[in-house]
Amino acid sequence: MLILSRKPEEEIRIGEHVTIKVLAIHNGQVKLGIEAPREMRVFRAELYSEIQAANVEASQVDRRVAAKAAASLIKPKDKKS
Amino acid sequence: MKFTNWQFGELEFEADHVVKFTEGLIGFEHHHSFLIVDDVDTEPFRWLVSLEDAHLSFPLLDPGLLLPGYAVDAATGGGKTVFVIASLRPRVDGSTVNLRSPIVIDNATRTAVQVILDDEGLPLQFPLVPSAVTSAPR
Repeated sequence: MLILSRKPEEEIRIGEHVTIKVLAIHNGQVKLGIEAPREMRVFRAELYSEIQAANVEASQVDRRVAAKAAASLIKPKDKKS
Repeated sequence: MKFTNWQFGELEFEADHVVKFTEGLIGFEHHHSFLIVDDVDTEPFRWLVSLEDAHLSFPLLDPGLLLPGYAVDAATGGGKTVFVIASLRPRVDGSTVNLRSPIVIDNATRTAVQVILDDEGLPLQFPLVPSAVTSAPR
């Protein structure tokens, strides 16, 4: 692991296309500005785990359960009297 | 071409129906080839079915049915189909869809990505409620 010290307004460059700027440090939180190419996915590490967990949960859905959920999700057609 | 999935049985498909996830899905990076399967029994839910693992599938929902205002970042451009992945319970209560990281399929190339939208306000677990969808679309 590379360890660098940076002050607010200072930047770190990763490769040719990624720049991370320290915008502010306040109350134990560091605010970073990240410039990266669009195709590069940038997100909080926890978010990755959360999405992974959601995907795993979805991957375990049984078709019969989905059929029941579908039946209750669809609004019954209005009966015209 | 044929593939047998444990839930859907034998699926017959054409090569150009295959949806390619170059980077896989999040947490499923090693799965690249999928099929979108319409299932009359589970409408409006469709399925993203792996063509590499007979036990892997994800329920999908067209987000437009649920939230007409939900629009994925304009930067994704036109010619795309968007689905959200659903985690389902039998009575819908407790079922959710992931609005934060939908599936975006490029209709022309059949390539797809699970994007992560920048909007932190979009929930990963948006609750589904009974009667939220008017009718099964086609």
